[in-house]
Amino acid sequence: MALFSVFQTTFLLALLSLRTYQSEVLSEPLPWAPESLKVFINSTHQCLHLQWSVHNLAHHQELKMVFQIEISRIKTSNVIWVENYSTTVKWNQVLHWSWESKLPLECAKHFIRMRSAEDDAKTPEQSFWSNWSSWEEVDVQNSLGHDPLFVFPKDKLVEEGSNVTICYVSRSPQSNISCYLEGVQMQGEQLEPNVTVFNLNHVAFIRETGTNIYCKGDQGDSIKGIVLFVSKVLEEPKEFSCETQDLTTLNCTWDPGSDTGLLKQLSQSYTLFESFSGKKTLCKHKSWCSWEVAPESQEMYNFTLTAENYLRKRSVHLLFNLTHRVHPMAPFSVLFTDVSTTNATMTWKVHSTGNYYTLLCQVKLYGEGEVTQHNVSVEVDGEQLFSGLEPDTEYRAQVRCANANHFWKWSEWTHQNFTTAEAAPSEAPDVWRNVKSVQGHSVVTLFWKPLSKLQANGKILFYNIVIENLDRSSSSKFLSIPAPANGTELNLDQCSYQIHVTAHNSVGTSPASVIIVSGDPGNKEVEEERVKGTEDGFSLSWKPQPGNVTGYIVEWCDRPRGPLCDLQWKSVGPTTTSTVVSSDAFRPGVQYNFRIYGISTERVPYLLEKKTGYSQELAPSDNPQVVMSNLTSRSFTLSWKDYSIESQPSFIQGYHVYLKSKAGQCHSGSEKAVLSDDAVCCKYKIDNPKQKTFVVENLQPESFYEFLVTPYSSVGEGPHGAFTKVTTPDEYSPILIRVILPMVFCILLIMIICYLKSQWMKEKCYPDIPDPYKSSVLSLIKSKENPRLTIMNIKDCVPDSIEVLNKQEGTRKSLTETESSKPTYLYLLPTEESYSGPGPCICFENFTYNQAASDSASCGHVPVAPKAPPSQLALLTSPENLLKALEENYMNSLGEIPAGETSLNYVSQLASAMTGDKFSLPTNPPEPALCSEYKMQMAIPLGLASPPSSGSSSLSSFTLLDEGEHYH
Amino acid sequence: MDLRAGDSWGMLACLCTVLWHLPAVPALNRTGDPGPGPSIQKTYDLTRYLEHQLRSLAGTYLNYLGPPFNEPDFNPPRLGAETLPRATVNLDVWRSLNDKLRLTQNYEAYSHLLCYLRGLNRQAATAELRRSLAHFCTSLQGLLGSIAGVMAALGYPLPQPLPGTEPTWAPGPAHSDFLQKMDDFWLLKELQTWLWRSAKDFNRLKKKMQPPAAAVTLHLEARGF
Repeated sequence: MALFSVFQTTFLLALLSLRTYQSEVLSEPLPWAPESLKVFINSTHQCLHLQWSVHNLAHHQELKMVFQIEISRIKTSNVIWVENYSTTVKWNQVLHWSWESKLPLECAKHFIRMRSAEDDAKTPEQSFWSNWSSWEEVDVQNSLGHDPLFVFPKDKLVEEGSNVTICYVSRSPQSNISCYLEGVQMQGEQLEPNVTVFNLNHVAFIRETGTNIYCKGDQGDSIKGIVLFVSKVLEEPKEFSCETQDLTTLNCTWDPGSDTGLLKQLSQSYTLFESFSGKKTLCKHKSWCSWEVAPESQEMYNFTLTAENYLRKRSVHLLFNLTHRVHPMAPFSVLFTDVSTTNATMTWKVHSTGNYYTLLCQVKLYGEGEVTQHNVSVEVDGEQLFSGLEPDTEYRAQVRCANANHFWKWSEWTHQNFTTAEAAPSEAPDVWRNVKSVQGHSVVTLFWKPLSKLQANGKILFYNIVIENLDRSSSSKFLSIPAPANGTELNLDQCSYQIHVTAHNSVGTSPASVIIVSGDPGNKEVEEERVKGTEDGFSLSWKPQPGNVTGYIVEWCDRPRGPLCDLQWKSVGPTTTSTVVSSDAFRPGVQYNFRIYGISTERVPYLLEKKTGYSQELAPSDNPQVVMSNLTSRSFTLSWKDYSIESQPSFIQGYHVYLKSKAGQCHSGSEKAVLSDDAVCCKYKIDNPKQKTFVVENLQPESFYEFLVTPYSSVGEGPHGAFTKVTTPDEYSPILIRVILPMVFCILLIMIICYLKSQWMKEKCYPDIPDPYKSSVLSLIKSKENPRLTIMNIKDCVPDSIEVLNKQEGTRKSLTETESSKPTYLYLLPTEESYSGPGPCICFENFTYNQAASDSASCGHVPVAPKAPPSQLALLTSPENLLKALEENYMNSLGEIPAGETSLNYVSQLASAMTGDKFSLPTNPPEPALCSEYKMQMAIPLGLASPPSSGSSSLSSFTLLDEGEHYH
Repeated sequence: MDLRAGDSWGMLACLCTVLWHLPAVPALNRTGDPGPGPSIQKTYDLTRYLEHQLRSLAGTYLNYLGPPFNEPDFNPPRLGAETLPRATVNLDVWRSLNDKLRLTQNYEAYSHLLCYLRGLNRQAATAELRRSLAHFCTSLQGLLGSIAGVMAALGYPLPQPLPGTEPTWAPGPAHSDFLQKMDDFWLLKELQTWLWRSAKDFNRLKKKMQPPAAAVTLHLEARGF
């Protein structure tokens, strides 16, 4: 064990001594140490260039060496960079090495040293380094000058996204320096007492004129700045290509990509280099460059296009054979010869590209929507024949060429137009007619459709019309209508005519179109049938005709509502019994009428069917103008006679009558409906569109109603516009009016009659009061010489009797009936037996014309109502005795006469005298009229008076007439 | 300094004012010989018009340079622009200037400024900016001709440029881009100050050249007879 320990110690000592020896050997300077180290500064690129040499190398000796370079900043101990630079060193060679500093060199001192070793690739770790060279100091700040402030780097150009370090160097440490990037203050890191560093990461492009960074002291006396130009990354040129048109110049083009965003002087340049010839050219443009082909026949070219700016270099390569990149120039001198109606020959020339090149030319012909293509092989001149062309048609021919042997690109097209010659029209014009009978004549309007371009074969100049009378074959008429007319009007008689229409151009005549206009229009009544249209048109079909027909014609108007209906027609063959009529003029909501004619073998058209329809039905747009009539308290009538169902935007199927009422009850025949405004009303439905009256019944008198009449069709009903308001009248007002009006009329009539007959009325009702002294009776009496006869004085008037008439209750007794009644007479004066002396007869004066009589109170006859109480009668008599007697008798008779039914009859003497018998008086009343005729009253001598018919009767009696009678 | 983007309405109003005054200018001179009065008035009007035109141009150009040059309160020390003619002058000195010296200083200043401005135009990157600068240069050339006309009317000779002292706007290799921008800024600022000063100069000259009111009255009376 001890032996093992001694052996181990000995081994360790031996190893230690070996290492010591080895280090002594390595510390010896190598014969190839770097010498003459010089450092150069490039402030613009922030680079340090090192230059040194290696001595002691044998002549022609080459030694592979590695140089270790160490760079420190601020102080030697602060090593920031160590790099091994390997190279092969020759005798007397000066070596170079560069290092770019991220920090501007002006911002801090730098120290550089290096050492060398032989570069042994097998055992690189066991290289034996030379001694370090001495530190080389790089201090740019010493040469800056005496300005108080500096900012570095100066106007640097970087790519977008780079990291940039900026610093400022201040000569006055007391001053407080602020730095700004685009106006925004930056926060820096102090590197030295007078140096501050700012790190900008991922700088972005802002503008062409660069990003402004500046620093200024707090005194404001110093401001320094830099412009940082930020470039967008230079792109590699794309689509680099070269070609030639004439084999003398190559034109190379490329896509430079997006702009770098730098000022023109900082922008990239493009260089073209051809490796076979070794030529190089600087391109003046950013996207293309010209290259002169060498006069010697160089076929192969190897181009390198280099895009380069201060920061980056991009290259693309292109290798090609010149003859494979021929892009011929466009053909020229394109001409057309021998142009006929259907054929033409085209010739052209091509630019020469060498005698041994053949070109392939492509010819295209455009005409009437068709394109034909031909390929022609051409050396100098090209030629192509076109056949099967249409007459009078403009064609467009174009030609281009390419290298036939090595196709590269087609040349540009060369265009030329030509027009074929005209030919006679190939088709007869499509003719139709419209016949109207006016005052025994037929007004025939001929229409024809212009021939299509293919049919016309040229410009149509005029149309010839030959009218041949079929009834009188010798008579025919000729018309020539200049184009572009498409119709004419003919005035014909009732004969049948055959009309030929031909179209003419400058070359010839078209076949004739023949139509027969019959003297008998033969427009039989045909029932109209409804058809449903679609957006594509109207699909019409008709029954096939049993006889021979040469075809059918469908006729319609494009503008049925316009003044000119714009007649259209469509001809179909005899085997066709259906067609679809479409027109751009068809509009929704317009009714179109179609008439289908059959054309007989004699070319006579006759009407077969009528159809009508809408391309699209629309809801009615207007409501009818409704007139209300026969308004009663229970009903009214609505009518809309003027509403035309033909001019509506759809087929009217009927009407809806809406009735709003406060009651909201709907009677039979109507249903409740809710309008769009949530109003509830009654809806009456009229299914017949021709029914244009409606009676609204079951209404309430003196009620408010609103009604609306709107048409409806299969697509809806008319607008729910304004309702018409109506209020039903009072139920009794009409009756009252019926009664009151005639009454008023009658009263007026009576008044008028009374006015007109006033004199007569006065005479009848208000006769002049006769003056007893002027009475003719007096003269008559006087003539009889009766000296005692005199006019009775009112003072002497003593009533002799009062006649009281009884009347049965409930019955009005006529004057004739009074005869049967037995009036009770009150004899106020003594009868003949008791009457001792002669006394005058009593008479009454009429109060109506002698008021003084009542005032005298001696012989008062107060006009009292017959129903006056009997007690009042006592006042009528003034003499006391009379009063008493009257009271007695009256009271006696009162028990026999029921109250209220008593009347007094005053019987005048004259009446008594005239009748001669007091009992006969009621039988012959003075007048049963409204007013009684006045009877003259006078005192008549007793002798002249008629004797009483009975002993109990007095000489004269007074009758108080019944209430119904007038008294005077 | 009030170098801001001028509004086009202001320029239009000023142009209208110039046009309005043009027909009225002959009325200033009621004698047969127009004298320098109308020319001075025209020159004055032109300086006002150019002043408004420059506001718009300076706004566009300083935005083109970027901040801090387009910031309203940017007022750097006048570095590197020593060759530019200074418009600022002591007030007493300005008052004591005679007409000839006043006009000569104006003429020389605008001759230099025009030359610098043309150099600015050559450097401008955008076509629109070049158009605006060219238009302003034409107007400034007109002002220079107008001043020359006034000097000729007053019998003053035009200052002759010394040979070899043609102002150039070609910065040396040490001239950084930031200093170049600073020079552009100072050129526009000095130009505006000169236009302000010229307006005062020509206004002073105008007042000086106007005949006394009494003389005009007498003259009118004489014409009335």
